[in-house]
Amino acid sequence: MAEYRALEQFVDDIYTCNRTRCGFCSVECPVFRVKRMETYASRGRMLVARGLLEGILEPSAEMQEVMDACLMCGYCQARCALENLDIFSAVRRELREAGFASPKHEQTAERILETGTLFDRPMPFRRVGTTPLYLGCAYQSKPHQVQTIVSVLEKVGLDPLVSDEVCCSYIISAVGFEEEFQRAQARFRQVYGPHLEKEILTVCPTCTATLRDEYGLQVKHALVAVAERLPGMTIKPINRRVTYHDPCHLGRMLGVIEEPRQILKALGMELVEMEHHGVFSTCCGGGGGVFDVDRALAVEVAKNRVRDAVAVGVDIIVTACPTCQPTLLRGAGRLVNELGVFVDVLDLWELLDQALD
Amino acid sequence: MTDQEKLKAALTELQAFLGDRATDSAIHRMAYSRDWSPRYKDMTDLPDILVVPRNTEEVVQIVQVALKYELPVIPFAGGTGMGGGVVAWKGGIMVETKGMNQVLEIDPANMSVTVQAGITIWELNERLAPYGLWLPHQPESKRACTIGASIGCDNDSTFGVRYGKILDCLTNAVVVTGRGEAVRLGHRKASFSSTGYNLMHLLVAAEGTLGIVTEATLRVVTLPKTREVRAWVFRTLIDGARALERTLASGLSVESAHLNCRRRLHFYTHAFRQKYGKEPEIPDWAESILFLSFAGDEDVVEFSLQKARSILEGEFHGEWVREQEMVEGYWDSKHRLAFIPFKQKWPDSQREKKFGAADVGVPMGRLEEMYHAFLEISAKYDQQILGMTVYNESPNKVSPSISFAVFVDDSTEETVQNFYRYVREMSLKAVELEGTMSTYIGDGDRLGGFNELEHGLSFQYMKELKALFDPKNIMNPGKKFESRWIQP
Repeated sequence: MAEYRALEQFVDDIYTCNRTRCGFCSVECPVFRVKRMETYASRGRMLVARGLLEGILEPSAEMQEVMDACLMCGYCQARCALENLDIFSAVRRELREAGFASPKHEQTAERILETGTLFDRPMPFRRVGTTPLYLGCAYQSKPHQVQTIVSVLEKVGLDPLVSDEVCCSYIISAVGFEEEFQRAQARFRQVYGPHLEKEILTVCPTCTATLRDEYGLQVKHALVAVAERLPGMTIKPINRRVTYHDPCHLGRMLGVIEEPRQILKALGMELVEMEHHGVFSTCCGGGGGVFDVDRALAVEVAKNRVRDAVAVGVDIIVTACPTCQPTLLRGAGRLVNELGVFVDVLDLWELLDQALD
Repeated sequence: MTDQEKLKAALTELQAFLGDRATDSAIHRMAYSRDWSPRYKDMTDLPDILVVPRNTEEVVQIVQVALKYELPVIPFAGGTGMGGGVVAWKGGIMVETKGMNQVLEIDPANMSVTVQAGITIWELNERLAPYGLWLPHQPESKRACTIGASIGCDNDSTFGVRYGKILDCLTNAVVVTGRGEAVRLGHRKASFSSTGYNLMHLLVAAEGTLGIVTEATLRVVTLPKTREVRAWVFRTLIDGARALERTLASGLSVESAHLNCRRRLHFYTHAFRQKYGKEPEIPDWAESILFLSFAGDEDVVEFSLQKARSILEGEFHGEWVREQEMVEGYWDSKHRLAFIPFKQKWPDSQREKKFGAADVGVPMGRLEEMYHAFLEISAKYDQQILGMTVYNESPNKVSPSISFAVFVDDSTEETVQNFYRYVREMSLKAVELEGTMSTYIGDGDRLGGFNELEHGLSFQYMKELKALFDPKNIMNPGKKFESRWIQP
């Protein structure tokens, strides 16, 4: 299990960034691309962190607004050698302790602790099987997509077991609600206890990273399992020219970069890469709870990501995340008038299900 | 009016047309409290107000408000300057220029592009690539560095020996002067002009002290089909420099040429060590290493490499570095910026001390003398040597722009002051050797006033030019003519 460190424990990283100022993290940060202010990129936030450490700045609602506008996508960290995300979470914990936290995030934490789920919707799907499959809240609220995923897993010869589950609670950890996260984690272990010692198949990138990094569990993203089983299978080719949006947690954090591309290739698709892809992919706008507190910002980030696809001459984005797909679709919808074209955003699981018929 | 009343009134007027893109919030000001220059770790220079304009017209309005209340105006761009050029040590209005990042025109027929000056060089090249074009002005900071910053600082370029620096690309600029007017300088898309005075040239290295550059028209070139990078080691520094001169004299078109002392190589092989977990195999006798790149059509590049080898190895007894992985690692660090994810060189190498440099220029024949002075002066001021790189920044010439780099102990004001004593003495030495104090960092907040020793009477002319563009001395005060670190 990951242990939380106080802001003071990151002092070396913070001063290293302050004295370096290389800025490689900044201009391509998806939030900076919208806001165009240093404060909203990692390099500027590191100076804010220093201000907080040295007492130059006091915790405030404004600081909370700035920190809440971070997607926690980790683009900056990939361009760096420091523990950027842990530092931002530490700042958020300091803010929370000082009484500054978004009411929206408070409500989210309350809901997760009360109901065990992120959304005000039931988690209805269960399946008897042999290999534990953890769906997570986002997929549990999308019954059609769950049916698709299970269908694909069955077609490749897996027998998923979906049992009672509760939210992994990534979001309350990311926004600095340490104590609540510890409680949520205990609850998860209690509910999901029978499977904790086994390898768990997962489908939501964020849940996968959280279960691996915060809970210390042995997890395997289901797309990896599918990619392993795909060679030799009968496939009905889908002849389309597409780009692939790497979900931040799946690509950057978990390193599942090649497998989705292998799958696209196996399905007969022509893949055109966007400038930012793989470990340096940028966020769809749905990360870090930003959508809850600043919907306009999240949509602007999504629009920029859709523009990235258009810039390489593609009008279909494929992705594999229950957050990325609807967020990008929202961005694409808002861009129809500007671009004169609707950029469609397809789920890789749907394509797999079609091709494996 | 008191200073506080002026600031309050100015902010009200700025917010009237910029909305929340004008703020005096301490959080936002903190994010603009320093650049990459050596300063002690808890030193803080907060501007009073931050503004984020989106176009020339807004910058005109901002400067007019600043004029009205006589407030300093400091342009902020990449923030990677190593001379304190964007540090607001006199307070004032910090103008974040990266909000002006639009490409206004790509004109492939005329090999020209017009941009807002806040676009980064990296982003501009992404936009040019589909046309088969690129801007060859390429500082190592290009992911963050903007066109405006390159003009303001006259920074280095990896490909200077073939294409020169930003001035060799710049044909036109719009600047908002300290008079609150937008003025177009230059010759539109023509390569040269012999009418009037070349006022556009004054903007290069002006560090925003004459005005804020908001738009620029630049000559661009065709992307090369292929590029090869190689390295050779030599017994002395001057052997490396002479060998480069001879290579250029042979008629070869060298795309980039960097001569490093042995110690500096260590800094550039970070990626190699990360990847292979070992030191590169450089012979003990080698005192300098010359990296050359050739670019263009494949057959021309191949011939160039063969010809270069015959000169460098046959005539100057250079030894070709066979460990090409090391050379590629160097190029990853120098040009591609292809660092291993989560292990980027820059912060990783600055964990205890920070990079700092005396960036002097001396004529080619004085290189050895300057290098020996570097060893003596760095020891005298207790500076940990990082090493020397000789950039070459004029097309087809050995044209040393030198980084004499050290690791700066930034733990206290005194240790940082010691670094600036080192810079001061290196600068004096460079002038003594018929050179200049700075070739790519600029005066910033370190050499202003002290640089009169280099310029003599022309320093007074510079002051009068400054007054013409900026009669109330509001444009980036505390730079060029005044220093907080080095006194005459």
